[in-house]
Amino acid sequence: MTTLTLKESPTVPLEAETLAPDVIAPLRHDAIAALPVFLGKRQRRLDDFFTIEGDGSDELEVRGDLGRVKWIGRGMTRGKITIVGNAGMHLGAYMKGGTIEVRGNASDWVGAEMTGGLIHVHGDAGGQIGAAYRGSLSGMNGGIILVEGSAGIEIGMRMRRGIIAVKGPVRDFAGLQMKGGTLFLLGGAELRTGAWMIRGTIVCLKPIALLPTFSYACTYDPVFLRLYGRRLEELGFSIPYQPDAGGYRRYSGDAAVPGKGEILVWKPQVA
Amino acid sequence: MLRITGGKVYDPANNINGQIKDICISDGRIVSEVEGGRTIDATGMIVFPGGVDVHTHVAGAALNFARAMIPEDHRRNAPYVRGERHRGGIGGATPTTYVTGYLYAGMGWTTVNEAAVPILSARHTHEELRDTPIVDKSCCVLLANNEILLDLLEAGETERARHVAAWQIWAAKAYGVKAVNPGGVAAWKWGKDAKGLYEPVPGYNKVTPAKIIAALASIVDDLGLPHPLHLHCNNLGAPGNYNTTLETMKVLEGKRAHLAHLQYHAYGGDDWFTMRSKSAEVADYFNAHPNLTTDAGAVLFGNTVTITADGPWQHLLYKLTGRKWGNLDVENETGCGIVPYVYKEKNLVNAVQWAVGLELLLLINDPWRVFLTTDHPNGAAFWRYPEIIQLLMDVNFRREQLKKLAPKALKRILLPELDRQYTLSEIAVITSAGPARALGLAHKGHLGIGADADVAIFNDSKDIARMFAYPRYVIKGGEVVIEEGEIRKAVEGRGYVVRPVYDEKIEDYIRPLFQQYYTMSFDNYPVELERLENPDIRSC
Amino acid sequence: MGGKVTCTLGEVKNRADLIVYWGGNPAECHPRHFTKYTLTQKGKFVPKGRKDRTMILVDIRETPSAKAADIFLQVRPSKDFEVLTTLRALIKGQRVSAETVAETGLTLEQLQDFAERMKKARFGVLFFGMGLSMTRGKHMNSAALLSLAAELNAFTKFVAMPMRGHGNVTGGDVVMRWTTGYPFGVNLSRGYPRFNPGEFSTVDLLLRGDNDAALILGADPGATMPQPAIDHLARIPTIVLDPKVTHTSRLARVHITTAATGISAPGTVYRMDEIPLPLRPALKSPYPTDEDVVRRIYKAVAKKPAWFPGTK
Repeated sequence: MTTLTLKESPTVPLEAETLAPDVIAPLRHDAIAALPVFLGKRQRRLDDFFTIEGDGSDELEVRGDLGRVKWIGRGMTRGKITIVGNAGMHLGAYMKGGTIEVRGNASDWVGAEMTGGLIHVHGDAGGQIGAAYRGSLSGMNGGIILVEGSAGIEIGMRMRRGIIAVKGPVRDFAGLQMKGGTLFLLGGAELRTGAWMIRGTIVCLKPIALLPTFSYACTYDPVFLRLYGRRLEELGFSIPYQPDAGGYRRYSGDAAVPGKGEILVWKPQVA
Repeated sequence: MLRITGGKVYDPANNINGQIKDICISDGRIVSEVEGGRTIDATGMIVFPGGVDVHTHVAGAALNFARAMIPEDHRRNAPYVRGERHRGGIGGATPTTYVTGYLYAGMGWTTVNEAAVPILSARHTHEELRDTPIVDKSCCVLLANNEILLDLLEAGETERARHVAAWQIWAAKAYGVKAVNPGGVAAWKWGKDAKGLYEPVPGYNKVTPAKIIAALASIVDDLGLPHPLHLHCNNLGAPGNYNTTLETMKVLEGKRAHLAHLQYHAYGGDDWFTMRSKSAEVADYFNAHPNLTTDAGAVLFGNTVTITADGPWQHLLYKLTGRKWGNLDVENETGCGIVPYVYKEKNLVNAVQWAVGLELLLLINDPWRVFLTTDHPNGAAFWRYPEIIQLLMDVNFRREQLKKLAPKALKRILLPELDRQYTLSEIAVITSAGPARALGLAHKGHLGIGADADVAIFNDSKDIARMFAYPRYVIKGGEVVIEEGEIRKAVEGRGYVVRPVYDEKIEDYIRPLFQQYYTMSFDNYPVELERLENPDIRSC
Repeated sequence: MGGKVTCTLGEVKNRADLIVYWGGNPAECHPRHFTKYTLTQKGKFVPKGRKDRTMILVDIRETPSAKAADIFLQVRPSKDFEVLTTLRALIKGQRVSAETVAETGLTLEQLQDFAERMKKARFGVLFFGMGLSMTRGKHMNSAALLSLAAELNAFTKFVAMPMRGHGNVTGGDVVMRWTTGYPFGVNLSRGYPRFNPGEFSTVDLLLRGDNDAALILGADPGATMPQPAIDHLARIPTIVLDPKVTHTSRLARVHITTAATGISAPGTVYRMDEIPLPLRPALKSPYPTDEDVVRRIYKAVAKKPAWFPGTK
């Protein structure tokens, strides 16, 4: 394992896409220390900011308040990063494989445009998680993002494949222009959930405000949710999928596009 | 002072075809002899006159609109990182202005003609051209949907139309006249198009596309502009449009004209499913009519963004792609549409388009009348020209590429049957000597005594695409601007403008109409000459 | 998805028979808009001027602009996105939930009538103000309106345009695009332009305290931005270039008085429809122009050791 401990929080954002197993694993201690990072406009060495222990490995542990450290795990394909503390923007963006675990909060653009791998945030996350960057036609195209706390706006924006699950509440525009994949909102959502969605599924366990362009179709118990439910349970996220517990109200939309997406809102069985 | 020695010189305008010969430069011009100064040893290299792009979209409101629409393309392409001698910026389909200059010069091109400028926003175009370094620049003003002119044609006042057009050319500080989908853009203002050459344009009784084309071509000839009417024909991109193109060429008989991006105008078939190449029919007619020049508007596979004043076509393309659409109608004058697009090898329509561009370059037998363009950024970004040069020079490479197409596409095109290969001298014609002549820039496109010292020096290599993508040296106005793959000096370019003769009283006619139909002060309409960087004015 | 369908203001003057203002109060904020470009002008194809045109105003309160409108639609605060999204569905003949529509403050019948009027217009235009673009939903509200305008072109001619103000904000946007490829929210720290509103936009940078200096030109964030952003400007070295003392210059370390552009300094201003207009100064000023000052700062900075990405 390679351990990196932040010496002190930078005064302006530090861009550190070199903090990824693909970059660090093949390197010896000295070479890791010399890796470039960008403090504002200036290029600096990784060891200007981090105390580094060990040679390169596929397992990185990064410690400290990294709320201003951006692009950790960018495009990584393998290995594991554990962040003990908070993480800055673009955590695991363009990620293809491997695992990132954050024992703290994460910021905006977690797993943006990722195609594979797992990101698990134990605290809160920001907006645009698993989203498409501005102008891109699609957001995340595979992989899993789990958030134990809350999340911000536009999560899963234009996502095409993969799973995002959030335990806490999320803000506006969850699943905006979604094209596929599945979004689990365990703690409900604010406004405009599923706006302009084309395809894909949003599962919401709390009652939510719907746009006028979603219409009620039926109440049912989707079989695929049992599969997803079992997988999520392994990851510590539980969704009800036993028919005797209740059913899901299915709303289809967004008619503005017009799209063939669905929002499934959990309705517990009234005893 | 500079001497280039030992290189094989390709200067087709002066009948020099690969002879080893010294080129001497002094005060920005080619001279017969120099004493002292730097010597560049070009042994094992070839020496070309600097490239001239007759039709490109590199500046102005439409392109700048497109820039904002495609951040994903900016991210996808390698960034241009700031250095000691150059600015940072963005490459890709719509490079930023500084990078446009660096990229053109970086492949040996030293003159560009921005092909579509509305008068109303010409000041904006010139501001951008001023921020486009190294290359010399000219631009063509859009007149074929100008309602003051169309109203005059409706009233049969051709004489007055000529004075108005001349005033407008000077107001825009333009070098030539561009006609885009004559009448069609005016019709688009009501969401319509002008498809039939002899049918009245919506909103008019007598004005037809044919009438606009004939009138503008005559006006340009009568004014004696150095560059003929620069025409984007009606029905761009539509299956079966080769008939419109043939009809248009008939309308132009006895007049000079440059047909822009002919590739987009040489399709047969009745719809997208039956679309096929009609390059042979178009090339045959074209070959027999020396009053015409054209440029390829070739397509390469990959991502780009389409930008044209042809609003109705862009609305159709938006509906076909279902993606993004930008549209900007310019009061009383023109419009523009913007749609990001991906040309795919396996797509039948795209395969036909790719083939037609190359077919026209191969079937038009006089290289002095057909020029290398991609209608940047419509068919592909200009920095991909070296790929087209390779396709033209190497029939085996071409055959390899044909294998990537869907087999069904091969029946729709002629390219598999064509085995012509361009020579280096012919490449020098279609990239430099020919377009310079068509633009009427006598001091460009050749290396004779007195010519502008714009020179590109390439390795003489078998890897054609690479040698043309990375010139060893580029000299602009006598200064070495590119060397060892680096920018050595980002010099400022010149702006070419024509000043046609018109009756000064014509302003009394235009002013009240302007005040009635436009929304700005008339005095703010013409572009001040001071807005141009190093203006070079041609009287005619 | 995405894009913008627009025109210059003269097109509106000459052709528009349906004019919609959304989330704006032109009567007070753009007082000449009605008379110069939109409502009362007699245009080439609308020769009777006001009589040939219909105006619809959509806003959360009845402003003085409502007096000029033929139809005023009062939408509940933060329901613009819902209304626009519903209209997108209605023009395509899609089903919507009447019950949920009613939560917007407007009835389904009102929206159906609105949708029909837009489809039947010969040339329609949607102008939108900060009441739409700066309220909950922000850029998505603008995107909803722009999408609606684009999609209406399947039925008739329709365009949309933001009602921009605040000096030459359009000009800043235009020049940023040709120099960096992006309109705003651009970061150049890695030696080339990157774009990410929310990350690099001024207000977000200040709120997070991501910058350690600020140079303010032609703006007064000290008067308009949220307090935490203003507090950050006061904390860091802030330099203001302005002809007059502003809220921002009061909290700045340095204020440099410059000549007022358009009054005593030349230049170009871009109108809200991106038409460039030359500025011809009427007066002389003892103060340098913004351009002079920036050039002099640049020259002084250039004497310092160069920094380039890859160097230290």
